[in-house]
Amino acid sequence: MPLKLFECDTVIPERKRHVYVKNVGEDTSMFLPMANIDTIPGSISERGCSYCGAKLVIGGVLKDTIQLIHGPVGCAYNTWHTKRYPSDNDNYQLKYVCSTDVKEKHVIFGAEKLLKQNILEAFKAFPNCKRMIIYTTCATALIGDDPKAVAKDVMKELGDVDIFCSQCAGFAGVSQSKGHHVFNIDWMNEKVGTYEPEITSDYTINMIGDYNIQGDSVVLSDYFHRMGIQVIAHFTGNETYDGLRSMHRAQLNVVNCARSAGYIANELKKKYGIPRLDVDTWGFNYVAESLRKVGAFFGLENRAEQVIAEEYAKWEPKLNWYKERLKGKKLCIWTGGPRLWHWTKALEDDLGMEVVSMSSKFGHQEDFEKVIARGNIGTIYIDDGNELEFFEVLKEKKVDVIFTGPRVGELVKKLHIPYINGHAYHNGPYMGFEGWVNCARDIYNGIHSPIWALAGKDIRKGA
Amino acid sequence: MSLTIKDKERAGVINPMYNCQPCGAQFAGIGIRDCIPLVHGGQGCCTFVRLLFAQHFKENFDIASSSLHESAAVLGGMKNVEVGIDTLVQRYPDLRIVPIITTCSTETIGDDVDGVARKARRMLKEQFPNRSVKLVPVHTPSYSGSHVKGYDTALLALTKELAKKTESNGKLNIITGWLNPGDVTEIKYILNEMGVEGNILIDTETFDAPTMPDKDAFAYGNTTIEDFVETPNAVGTIALCPFEGGSTAQFLQDEFDVPAVIGPTPIGIENTDKLIQNISKLTGKEIPESLVVERGKALDAIADLVHMFFADKKVAIYGDPDLVIGLAQFCLEVELQPVLLLLGDDNKTYSKDPRFKELEEKANCDIEVVCNADMFELEDRIKNKGADIDLILGHSKGRYIAIDNNIPMVRVGFPTFDRAGLWKYPIIGYKGASMLAESIANAMFTDMEYKHKDEYLLNVW
Repeated sequence: MPLKLFECDTVIPERKRHVYVKNVGEDTSMFLPMANIDTIPGSISERGCSYCGAKLVIGGVLKDTIQLIHGPVGCAYNTWHTKRYPSDNDNYQLKYVCSTDVKEKHVIFGAEKLLKQNILEAFKAFPNCKRMIIYTTCATALIGDDPKAVAKDVMKELGDVDIFCSQCAGFAGVSQSKGHHVFNIDWMNEKVGTYEPEITSDYTINMIGDYNIQGDSVVLSDYFHRMGIQVIAHFTGNETYDGLRSMHRAQLNVVNCARSAGYIANELKKKYGIPRLDVDTWGFNYVAESLRKVGAFFGLENRAEQVIAEEYAKWEPKLNWYKERLKGKKLCIWTGGPRLWHWTKALEDDLGMEVVSMSSKFGHQEDFEKVIARGNIGTIYIDDGNELEFFEVLKEKKVDVIFTGPRVGELVKKLHIPYINGHAYHNGPYMGFEGWVNCARDIYNGIHSPIWALAGKDIRKGA
Repeated sequence: MSLTIKDKERAGVINPMYNCQPCGAQFAGIGIRDCIPLVHGGQGCCTFVRLLFAQHFKENFDIASSSLHESAAVLGGMKNVEVGIDTLVQRYPDLRIVPIITTCSTETIGDDVDGVARKARRMLKEQFPNRSVKLVPVHTPSYSGSHVKGYDTALLALTKELAKKTESNGKLNIITGWLNPGDVTEIKYILNEMGVEGNILIDTETFDAPTMPDKDAFAYGNTTIEDFVETPNAVGTIALCPFEGGSTAQFLQDEFDVPAVIGPTPIGIENTDKLIQNISKLTGKEIPESLVVERGKALDAIADLVHMFFADKKVAIYGDPDLVIGLAQFCLEVELQPVLLLLGDDNKTYSKDPRFKELEEKANCDIEVVCNADMFELEDRIKNKGADIDLILGHSKGRYIAIDNNIPMVRVGFPTFDRAGLWKYPIIGYKGASMLAESIANAMFTDMEYKHKDEYLLNVW
């Protein structure tokens, strides 16, 4: 029985199509979990909304851009103080969020005037900030406000500002994923090609699908810099608004998060003929392989080898120290989607660990193709997993550590299982060579904490 | 001295102080045992709020979404509610109550949540004749009010739906408002010392869940359906926070003649005195010596700090309205000057709150109250308009104002995710008063040390 119906799902048997247990000698293409389809109401799914996919995940990373959320105040409040993407601009993007604070009268009579007033106020409040993204949310989408018209009006009036509109209400699509799509395509259609960057190297790339969680982008940029490669734009880690307008000038698109940003890489290939190179920027050996591929594309093999050699010398002994101690440990990855396929084999190869269950909130079928290709036999692959299913996995599998978000981490703590923040990391960055050592260190410290032995002890038994 | 109340001048919000209504309703819901709120709207309206609670409490709380997608947004989302209830009831055998919480999307498209609840009740009766699962529609459009109003609305909806007058039970209803588990512990302590049996709405003390040897303890709310049912049979109701539960106390008085005392929020010595005297009045119980001793201990601790460190220091306070007003009253007791008070929504009744008049009469400084305020209002005044502030009292979402401007800040209210364990400690009652004073002093002491500003003073005081 390769597809699996959890006991807790007997009353929602359609969940069976979303859960696969990989078997030996099976044609896995026959059992690809259903993904990216409607959520079952009341299932306590882990999914968020598409506005989140656009603002919190992609647009909000930009370090010089006002984030104006057009709607009632909650959507702004909730996407503020929840992310860990620093910048070299004093973390402007972490400190501020703007809401048009839509009220009942605006829902009835329209909120475009309010929006305009808000845009002007925000530019006044941040006089050094000349770039803005406006996001529609559920209510303002339903009432049919036209933010693009308002933005155009203001751009003309102010002259020196540029505004992008992301129109992706929370109910669009079935998860965060739709927000990624809409943001990618609209940015491509409206903003790419409208700014000319300064070219300082014969070798130029865009690093696509990396959001600088705890400084990931900075680590990657350093490798490219040492190889003599100019990163025209990071989509969107530690990046500027105008950097993203310049993406047409790169010779190569290097893609890590193919889920959230594969769209723009594809469009850039179609329109400008820029090749798309998919890489893994997590995982020790994966990163070496990725740098080799980029090096080969430009004929910079030697420089790639030099960087790899330097990094191996610096970090490999540490990695191996952790590998010795983490060998055979079992873990789950319950995150968005891509980290499942980025991490499963990397954890196995570099650290000797075994991933026994993975759940993706919003992955598509292609994410499952990837993860099932790389993942283990006997492992449970779950699309849109929910809380009761998680408990059942833990009953079935002995698990030493779980990569997931902090809330679920707090839940599994009660079961004496450590968690590592699989979204925003414990002590990152986790990308690159040093990043994977950071990751190994956090796993090691999590598993080897004295707390778990203490938690399991009942002081009433055996004085 | 003067107290002026005005609105923020900007139309928009930069760095919101409050969340939207459904968040407040969800907070009320998680405080009830065997309850899973169903949030009728897009998925973010539930997922983000669950994260927010995890930020503050470091715990998981179960909240479900009706997962409104495009087709439902266009054609109506009633079916989503029905399926959501069915799924929850079937998969959670202990589930006894589901508040159905609306959001901006489902209020805008006009889903008839009361109608769907009626239909679902019939369905549940047929399919699960041996179970009783209460469904309570809660209307919380995000485009009016804030989480403060959402909490108040949810509590009233739950009480209206469940309350039943039978025989007097001799208990005292305590409606806590949006306070911490540590505050609930404190109010229980006070009731216990007075020999009064309380009916606590909403009892969040169990949010502080242990990690146990047998792995079976999870965070849950501790108020039961029966506690709501029993509310009309109490000898009286005290609502600690008028804006968060006051309407429920009023409802119980109007509908069932349960005498209501609404506020003041027992922050500081005098407000706690009033609370204890009110409990005594409503129940006829004497005030015990132990609470007089408790009060004396708090005063003893506070007296060491006030003239020496607090006098003439200017304080800015933001957060939920009852908290801000209560903290301002406390400041005046301990010689601090609460010069700037920020309230984060458009409630028109704030200006009518009698506590502002009292503040004006007692203050030895001019006080400015800004309603409908955001966090940028505070930052802008400090950074650009020369506001002279020595101390900030507020929640963690304002942390960068303090950090970037080198002003000591004490975390109070919700959420306080950038300090450990604060939700375990009271700010109400006499214990809360000394906790607050000592936290303020310790924040100032650390600031003196970091800035090397007369740090040698801290040896003999």
